[in-house]
Order: sequence, then C-alpha cells, then structure tokens
Amino acid sequence: MNLRRKKEKRPKGGLTIAKGRFVLGITIPLLIYESLGLFVIGWALVLMFFNYSSGRLGGPILGLGGTNPFVGIDNFIEMFSGTSVEANLFRISLKNTLIFAFAVLPLNLMITLPIAYLLESIGERFKAFYRTIYFLPVLTSSVGVALIWLSMYDPQAGWINAIIRLFGGTPVSWLSDPRAGFAGVSVAMWAVILAYLWQDYGYNMVIFIAALQGVPQELKDTAMIDGANRWQTFIKITVPLIRPTMLFVCVMTMLSSFQVFDIIQVMTNGAPGNQTQVLMLDIYKNAFRYQRLGWAAAESFILFLLVMGVTIIQMRMLRTEWEY
Amino acid sequence: MTTQAVSTNTLTRRAKFKRGSFFESRFFFYLALTLGLIFTLLPFLMMIFSSLKTNTEVLRVPPTFLPDNPTFSNYLTIFNDPRLPLLRFYANSAFVAVFNVTATLFTSALIGYMFAKFEFPGKRILFGWFLTLMMIPSHITMIPSYLILAKLGLINSLWGLVIFSAVDAFGIFMLRQFCETLPNELLDAARIDGASEWQIFIRIVVPQLSAPLATLGILGFMGNWNAYLWPMIVLQKVEVRTLPIILTWYNSTHTGQGALVMAATVLITMPILLVLVYFQRWIVKGFVTTGLK
Amino acid sequence: MKKIMFVLVIASMLLAACGTGGQVAGGEKVTLRFWTHTNNAFNAGYDALITAYQAEHPNVTISRESFEYDLYLQTLSTAMPAGEEADIIQLFGTWTSQYYERLASVPADVMSVAQAKKLFYSAPIGGFIVNDKLYGFPQEFNCEYGGVLVNKTMFQAAGLAYPPQWKTMDDVVADGIKLVQRDDSGMMSVAGFHFTSADPIAFSFLAGIKQRGGDYWNADQTGFTFNTPQAKEQITWMVNAVQSGIVDPMVFNDATNPVIDAFFTNKAAIGYIGAWAIAEGKTNFPDFADEWDYIYLPPIQGKPVFVADSGWGLTVSPNSKNQDVAWDFIKYVTTDSKNALSWNLASGTIPALPEVAKSSEIATTEPWVAKALDILPDGEYLGNMPDRDLVMYSIIYPRILEAMQGVTSVDEALATIDTEANSTFK
Repeated sequence: MNLRRKKEKRPKGGLTIAKGRFVLGITIPLLIYESLGLFVIGWALVLMFFNYSSGRLGGPILGLGGTNPFVGIDNFIEMFSGTSVEANLFRISLKNTLIFAFAVLPLNLMITLPIAYLLESIGERFKAFYRTIYFLPVLTSSVGVALIWLSMYDPQAGWINAIIRLFGGTPVSWLSDPRAGFAGVSVAMWAVILAYLWQDYGYNMVIFIAALQGVPQELKDTAMIDGANRWQTFIKITVPLIRPTMLFVCVMTMLSSFQVFDIIQVMTNGAPGNQTQVLMLDIYKNAFRYQRLGWAAAESFILFLLVMGVTIIQMRMLRTEWEY
Repeated sequence: MTTQAVSTNTLTRRAKFKRGSFFESRFFFYLALTLGLIFTLLPFLMMIFSSLKTNTEVLRVPPTFLPDNPTFSNYLTIFNDPRLPLLRFYANSAFVAVFNVTATLFTSALIGYMFAKFEFPGKRILFGWFLTLMMIPSHITMIPSYLILAKLGLINSLWGLVIFSAVDAFGIFMLRQFCETLPNELLDAARIDGASEWQIFIRIVVPQLSAPLATLGILGFMGNWNAYLWPMIVLQKVEVRTLPIILTWYNSTHTGQGALVMAATVLITMPILLVLVYFQRWIVKGFVTTGLK
Repeated sequence: MKKIMFVLVIASMLLAACGTGGQVAGGEKVTLRFWTHTNNAFNAGYDALITAYQAEHPNVTISRESFEYDLYLQTLSTAMPAGEEADIIQLFGTWTSQYYERLASVPADVMSVAQAKKLFYSAPIGGFIVNDKLYGFPQEFNCEYGGVLVNKTMFQAAGLAYPPQWKTMDDVVADGIKLVQRDDSGMMSVAGFHFTSADPIAFSFLAGIKQRGGDYWNADQTGFTFNTPQAKEQITWMVNAVQSGIVDPMVFNDATNPVIDAFFTNKAAIGYIGAWAIAEGKTNFPDFADEWDYIYLPPIQGKPVFVADSGWGLTVSPNSKNQDVAWDFIKYVTTDSKNALSWNLASGTIPALPEVAKSSEIATTEPWVAKALDILPDGEYLGNMPDRDLVMYSIIYPRILEAMQGVTSVDEALATIDTEANSTFK
C-alpha cells in the first residue's frame, strides 16, 4: 500500500468520495436484498385476501385470481363469526394459545425467580454446577425435549405414571385423555405446559441471575442490619430494583409462548381432539397440509397483531420505566 | 456510631440471622435447589437409560429405572442403518449453521458499522425500515417465502433454506450500538494514514467487535442448529435434512421402538449439547444482553 | 464482498434451478423420473420391476425417488404447479379426485375405461376413474375393513376357542371382554379388541352404514348424508362395544398405542387393521414371539358389504415428455399378471387383479388374501371425496373417538361429522 502517493493525489473531498463509495457498495446490494424481503411481506399481506391453494392453477399474477379468487376480508369475517370447520379450529387454536401463554407466564416466574434467588444466595462452590444443569434443557433441541417427554408421559410405561403409581395415585393418560382436566384446562395442555416449562426455565433463570447480581449488596446489607429478614429484603428492596427486568422477562415469555410450535407439534400435534392445537400449529397445518394458503396467511396476520400488541405494550412500559 | 460498634452490631445481627427460620437456612436452599436439579436431570437420565435398554424392556410396566442388561445394540443399529447416515445430517446442519452465522455476523457488522459511523441521505428511513423488520415475527413471511422458493425450484435445497437469512435486523441493531462506542479519532487516524474504508473495517473495527460478534455468533449457531419449522417446510427430501427434522422422521418411522428412538435422540442432541455447554458463558451473556431467544 | 456473496447466491439459485430438470427429450434415450412414497417393501418390488423393464428396453432409464407419506402430498402440491413433478407418480387412488386436473388421462389405445373395469376389482379401479375418465392403474386392493390380527397365545390362555368361530360381531365382543387385562392401578394393560385407531373406526363406520342398508352419499355424489338412522345405529353399536370394556379409548387410540404397535408388543389380543400391517409389524417387531393369525370378521348385519379405498397405483404427469413410454412401463407393472404378482408378493398387499389374487402363490405366501377372496367382490369404492384424508382422519375418526370417550353424545358426534364433512365440498 503506497501511502505517500495516495495522500498527494487525493484532494480533500477524496475522503468523502471514498466514504460514499463504501456506503454505496453496501447499501445497493442491501437494497436489492431487502426489496426481496419487501416483496415477501407484500405477498403475505396480499395473500390473506385470497382463497389460495397451490394445487390450483389460479390466475396470471403469482397464481392469484382465477381459481384462487379474491375474497376480500371474507377470511377474517369467517374466522371470527363463521361456522365452518376451519373457523371453529381457528377459534379453538386462538383460545388454546392464550390459555397456554397465560398459564406459562405465572408458572415460569414462580419457578425462575426463586431458583435465581436461591442460586445467587449460595456460595460460589456449587453455583456453576447447579447453574449448568438447570441450563441444560435450554440448550437441548425442542424435538429432543418433545420426544423425551412423550416417553415420560406414556400411560403404561412412562416414568411420570410410574412415579404416580409409586405414591399410590391413579395414573392418567396424559396426552390422550380428553376428559380429564384441572382448573378448566385439559391434562394434555398441562402436560405440554410442563414440558415447555422444563425446557424454558433456564432461560429466564439466567436473566434473573444477572439482574439480581445488579442489586447492590450494600442495600441488602443495610436492610438486614435494620432487622429485615430475607423475605422482607427481597420484597421491599430487590424486587423493586429488578422491576424493569421482570417486565422484560414477562413480555419475552409471552411472546415466545404465543409462537410455540416445535414442542407441541412433535408431542401431540394438537391432539387429543384439538385440545393442544395452538395458533402456530393451525397456521402450519392449513398452509402445508390443507393447502389453504390464503386462510393461513390471514391467521398469521392475527398472530402478528397479537405479537405486535404485546411488543408495543412492552415498549411503552419500558419507556416509562426509564423515565422513572 | 464508631466502626467498632457497627461491626459488633453486624456480627450480632448475623448471629441472630443464623438462628433464623428454617426457610432461610442454607440447608433449605440446597435442598430446594437439589430437588430442582433432580427434576431437571430426570428426563435426561431417562433418555440415556432407555437408550441402553431393549425395545421390549422399555415397554415394561412398571418401568425399570436402570437398564437390566445395558446394551449398545440400539446404537449399533443406528450406525449400521444405511438410511440414517448421521454424518451427512451433521454436515447438513453444520453447513446451515455455519453459513447463516457467518453471513449474518458479516452483514450485521458491516451494516451496523455503516449506520453507526456514516451519514448519508435516506439513512433514517433505511434504519427505520430495519427497526420495523426486527419487530415482524418470522412466521408471517414463512408462507410467501415458501411459495417463492417453490417457484424458483429451491425447495429441498440447503441454499434455499439459507437464502432468506443472510441479513438479520437484530444483529444490525446490536452491532450498530457497539460501533457507536468506537472512537471516531481511531477511524480518522486510519483514514489519514491512507487506509481504505474497507481496510478500516476489517483491520480496526472488526477486532473491536469481537465480544458482541462472539456472543451473537454462538447464539446464532445454537438457534440455527436447533431450528425446526423452516427447515421442515423447505427440506422435504431425507438426504438434505437437518438433524432436528431427521429425529422427528426417525421417530415416526420407528413407532413402538422406544429404546431405539431414545438412542437416536442421544446421538442427535447430546453432542451439540456438550459443545453448547462449553460455550455457555457466551450464551448466557447473549441472552442477558440481547434478550434474544 | 457483499456483492460477491450476493452473486454467489444468485449463481447457486440458478444452478439449483437447473438441477431439477432432467429429462432427455427426443432421440432414442429416454429417462423417466418415478416418484413413490416411502415403504420399503413396496419400493423393493418396484426396483425389481424397474431392473427387469430396463433389461428389456435398454434405451430407457427409470430413476425412482421416494418421499414419506406425510410429505408426499405436500411435495406433489408444490411440484405440480411448478411443473416439476416426475413422469410417473405413484398415487393413492382416492387422491385422484383431488389431482386429476394435473394428471394425464389414460390414452384410449393403452386401455379403455370399460376394459379396465373388467380387468380389476371394482374398488381399486374405481379410485382412478374421475368423470368417466381413467387416470391410472391400481396395484393393490387397500382393504381396511374386516380383517383382524388375533393372538393365539392370549386366546388359549383365556380359555377361548381358537381359531375363533365368530358368527356375529357380538361373539367378537364377548371374546374381547374376556381377553382384557388390567394392571394394579386399574389401567388397561392389554386391550381385548382394539379397534379404536383411525382406519378401523372410519372403515367399520362406513361399512356398518352400508350393511344396515344406508348410504353416506347423496344422490349425485355431490354431498354427504351422514346424519341417518343407520349411521346413528352404527356409532351407537361402537360406543356400546367400547363401554362393555373391550378397549379403553383413552389408552388405546391412534396417538397412543395404535393397533399395529399394540398388537405386536403384546398389548392387544385382537387388533383391527388392514392386512398391510402384517409386513410392517413383522419388520418392526422381530421380537414378537406369540403365535398369531389374520382372520376376517363377520358382518354386523346382512351381507358383508363394505367400502374400500382403492389403493396405491401409478399415474402419469401431463408435463412428461415421454408419456407413451411411461404408460408402457405402467402397463408392464400393473396389468401383466406375472409382474403384478411379484409386486404384490414383495409388498405384502392384496392384489388389484382378481386373476393374481386367486393364484396359488398368493394363497401360499399371503394366506389372508385367500381368506379375503370371499369378501373382496363385495367391496365398493369409497367414492370421490374432495379431501379423503381430511374426512376420514380429521373428521370421522376424532368425532367418533370423542363419542366413545364420552366427551360428546352420539347425536352430537354425528351432527358434527355431517356438517364438517359437507363443508369440504366448498
């Protein structure tokens, strides 16, 4: 690299030219790439207004029109007030998704926060070991998790029922008994929730650990000197300080549970009788099994609104936290 | 209050604390944590033990905990199964993960750097566009992306699988934040020395970004390795599939052979698990700083 | 660098797109692509015939590719609109009514519809006929009705007559009750008569309707009529059978302990499943040591009329550049008795050709087929449903299962089946 010559040859504006070239060199391919992304999103938004199946030939542009007719907002009207099989399934899926998300959230918090606290409170000796083990399920592929729990829930030879029998209880057909339920939610859903929680608690746990580490020790010590016990210190001092993290965790947990797919598809695929069918699963089945792509696109849009709603709430709440 | 008095007070307090309730004792903490540990480990143990049993033993009621006659026959069956070339599937998964991670790290660093340190017309708009993109969940573009791949004949191609993932808006956002902390003087000095923009990027900026790059890299690797939905949609032929889908396929083609399926699960999930455990510090850091799942 | 990568991506896209072509048009050499679903026994049969055909026609190369069942439909749906499907496509007969627009009809000089109807059993060929045009040739008679696996060891242990001399279905239920075993906590560990999987429920339901003198189609086959007294009687019978205790539908259904797995792991004494399960069970469960047999059930009422699905067969794509060669190969495989026989023996299926079904080789290798010969002529084709899998597996099976599990009443289940099935005609 001949530095001297370059310095002499370039006028002062050369720097801007070089910069400009750099930027152009990046943004132009980027724009081309992103226009593909824009096209994809555009197609998604258009698709939901059609009754589209890729098995049919359809019209001239991208197969839209013709035997894949434009139906306007019929898909949406059908979803919320129709009586067809798909519409019923959509509403059931939506309900199940909400049940799943709202059940997972408190359970998750009730597990992860205490564990994080306990881990933070014990000495350094075993902390890393415990933390690694608790974190293992997070690193495991969802398919593996689903298969393992599928085996655990086997009504005859599974370990869960074996443990129940050991304690003298009646074994339950966890994943295929549609009658049994607890607190209005079917056992199959609880079974799936448990498996999901098992895989997921490591995640929030480490976030809480980091947050707890951020609480200054002096504050806690002062409180203890003043006579507070652990519980009071926790409630009055620690919790308020980690509120932003808690909010963040709540929102992230809800977002992932709205979009859960892998573990449910492998474990039950919606069974027994649609009791564990969640929205993402319904979208997948409609799009790729029944070839109702327009309908599936419409469902994706509803899920998208749900997710966006929660994200916006999160942004609002976190912003207020900062303004504090 | 003198320091002396304070420490005495603290000592007395601590002594009192030690005689506190059972629930605050170290013993209880360890007990609770150990119970949780057992609960966490139980499914893994079941998987490993079952893989060492025969298919008939796995069906026994009540089930056995440890295998009666531990055997590696299930593993042998899998290794000798011509329809399950594990190495090839490992290669597929590795290709997808490595390509995606490299591509996204590269583009995120480059584009993040550009947004952080350069001014140009339309920058706000473009950045706003990326911000919006970040918030759009991937499932909504799943269907049209699939249709496009179908039209282009890229179904069943690993290239088709990765083509949409080369640019990650979140990564751009993250690295932009990091790049903003880079001192401008450093960059200007290099420019004065006659380095081209490209050289500045490679030689100066990237080394500074090693921490976030490593974090994003390992997170991306984990996410890509374990990805299920999109690969399942795109890869329909057995030979090109990635590991999680192969596991599902193996399970559905071997119903009633529980021990064999558990052995396959071990072979497919454990190796990467060990790798990720080795890198867990980075992963944890990644979760904490980015909130990415 | 970004540019280079982008160019690479485009280049690889083009390469990949080119790679999916593959037909040599014109000239002497002909290459045919052949798609099947994954079933090792079936595919072994095909491969043998491919080798034989290629030996007789050295200028023809046939390359076969298989996809597993769940994805086969999806693959067809993706490939067909893009014109990328294979030349020869193995198709399940009942699907023809969904795909006929994208299939080539059999040319008159290959075979006429009338000739085909005379040559094959009516249920198998029926599947491949849509609007009086023939779209392919069947290879098997997929009979899901009437056959059960029976575990001789369990029968003898329970002190029951073996081979069972059932005169009516009530006799079967009576035996089933005696064969049930439960564990200490009361959960059923061995089902007496396991029929609560998808295929047995759906097919015994439809057969029951027909045997009671009813029908589930309307006059011109444009809609279903499930809400009939005969249908109600049939479901009620099935629910009562379950409640008498022969099987616990909570523990034995398609998701948990499906019939094949249950029978071949000693968890069912009588298992209601199509004969194709025999090959599958023997391969997957080599440790199964009990003696067993495959016999046919008596009808619920009257003559053993039943409905059958058609079966797997071969069709041709209209986009193929060598349709004549394709049809020639298909005729070779499906209508030549010797070849059809070899395929049926390899796959363990019931032949679609009566001539082959009655042959002595079949009688010795697949004795259950010989037993089925009595009822095969009574099999009618299921009918051209808009989405057969949806109606049978996602509507009829779950709703009846729910009635059996006590979640819904028989009337509710029937009404739902009628509504949901008819909505598929939209």
